[in-house]
Amino acid sequence: MNQAGVSGPGGNIYDLGYQSYGGPRLGRRAASGALFRTALRACYGIGRGGRAKIVPIALGVLVLLPAIVAIGISALAAQAPGGGGAFLEEASPVRFSTYQGLILILVMLFAAAQGPELFGRDQRYGVLPLYFSRVLTRTDYALAKTGGLWVALLLLMLVPQLLLLIGRIFVAPDPLTGFQREIGTVPQFLAQSVLAAGLLGSLTALVASNTPRRAYATAIIIALFIIPPMVVGLIGNLVGQDPARLLVLFSPGDILDGTNAWIYGSIPDSPIVASLDLPGPVYLAAAVVGITGATVLTVRRYLTIRV
Amino acid sequence: MPLIALHELTKRYPGGVVALDGLTLDLEPGIIGLVGANGAGKSTLIKILLGLLAPTSGGASVMDRDVATQGLEIRQFVGYMPEHDCLPPDVSATDFVGHMARMSGLPGDAARERTAEVLRHVGLHEERYRAIGGYSTGMRQRVKLAQALVHDPRLLLLDEPTNGLDPAGREEMLALVERTGTEFGIAVIVASHLLGEIEQVSDFLVAIDAGQLLRAAPLADFTERTGVLAVEVEEGQERLQAALIRRGLDAAVDGRTVLVPLHDDRPYDVVRDEIVGLDLALVRMEQRRKGLEDLFRDEVTA
Repeated sequence: MNQAGVSGPGGNIYDLGYQSYGGPRLGRRAASGALFRTALRACYGIGRGGRAKIVPIALGVLVLLPAIVAIGISALAAQAPGGGGAFLEEASPVRFSTYQGLILILVMLFAAAQGPELFGRDQRYGVLPLYFSRVLTRTDYALAKTGGLWVALLLLMLVPQLLLLIGRIFVAPDPLTGFQREIGTVPQFLAQSVLAAGLLGSLTALVASNTPRRAYATAIIIALFIIPPMVVGLIGNLVGQDPARLLVLFSPGDILDGTNAWIYGSIPDSPIVASLDLPGPVYLAAAVVGITGATVLTVRRYLTIRV
Repeated sequence: MPLIALHELTKRYPGGVVALDGLTLDLEPGIIGLVGANGAGKSTLIKILLGLLAPTSGGASVMDRDVATQGLEIRQFVGYMPEHDCLPPDVSATDFVGHMARMSGLPGDAARERTAEVLRHVGLHEERYRAIGGYSTGMRQRVKLAQALVHDPRLLLLDEPTNGLDPAGREEMLALVERTGTEFGIAVIVASHLLGEIEQVSDFLVAIDAGQLLRAAPLADFTERTGVLAVEVEEGQERLQAALIRRGLDAAVDGRTVLVPLHDDRPYDVVRDEIVGLDLALVRMEQRRKGLEDLFRDEVTA
């Protein structure tokens, strides 16, 4: 290194010597917060290369489509004469109670595509020692990353439903009436989205943190979300409802189907979940246990990993 | 208050491998060379100081803080450059080092300023905006050093910083390490299995072998003069030896060199006279210095 200065085409850059840092050192919470924000941004490909943005943008557009279609139908319904509008509204397949069922597969794909990169990268490239020799703990690291994924999935589910909410309020003949009619759904879709993001995010974090190889992690996560409902359906049809009642509580998609039906008072999407007729709180308990258990195991993974 | 205090520090890995075996040592700030063969326990010691590993028994403190209970406080003021590759390929050096500054608790704007400054110090210029995946080994080592320096630590732990570098790269890295220790006023512990490198930059040496302390002393003590006069002659080593023995000196032949025990100044005159008398061609005559290698000679031959 040239100590006196570096000559460049535009002149000389003089080395002013090493400046020590006397400013604030914010410590553990600030570092965790910064890691959380970086993780959240990374889920959407922000701060990463152009190719990393393809999947989040594509899935982000797809989850919005049902909301846009629904707003279109509502707008038509509002202009339809007589009872035609109400009929059109009734016939629309897109409602808050069905929204999760329409986009859950996209949310799962998002988790399976983005989670492995979020958790596997630091392990694959040996970056963990650099984090663990700084001011955050291993638990902070695990929770900041998992939290980033949670919020990324939550936004992916909330944004289209908020769009649907705003759309339905404003296509109503009188926005105030529309507001009064729709506002009751906010706690419902908020609660259901928190459960779905929490459960899918936690399970994704658990698999991805234990599977540094990206392709394997993605395959395992997709299998974890897709295969159990099939198994539950097969067992329910071929063996009987009692084993299926137990198995359904290990199937993330079916658990969320169950909580969704309970929260909205609607019929579950899956015929087998509908026929099992388990009480809603059982699905809620299964979701909470799943979120907690997977998060604890993710933290444990980072507490025991050797760096 | 010593910079680092180790007390009976022991690390036994599952499986029975003893990496550190009752290490007791106090270290003062400076550029401290940590030497030992591969597997001697250097990396284990560094990782314990950082809190990355827990000792099996014994204790260690850094800047008067216990590594077992005050790891976070210690890590606020310690920088670490690991031996192995630790850089993701798809981000630029600027983004990566800036992120690591945040992870050390620096606010965003300070992180950006420090990143620019420290990358300039390690000699990364325009290329710092390119993805690390396209860097040479030398550039990667500089980024690794930069991330260890970005939060302005009081202590820098470098594990084999010249790993994988070509001779020119080694020289540049060692110059950077030396600058860090002297100009920047940061205490440095540099671990290496290459004695020549350690000798070049350190002012204090800690030699460990099989997890035990071999010796800890200022560099000068390691290379002190020995009580041997080495006389190198073109030819006639045996004749010179015989002549010196006749004069009462216990001379021995070692290749082209005749070794003479040196208790006082008398051998100088005797050797001069005998060389003149035998008409031999003298190449050099010097008092032997102990080489660092002597410390490890047993293992090298083993």
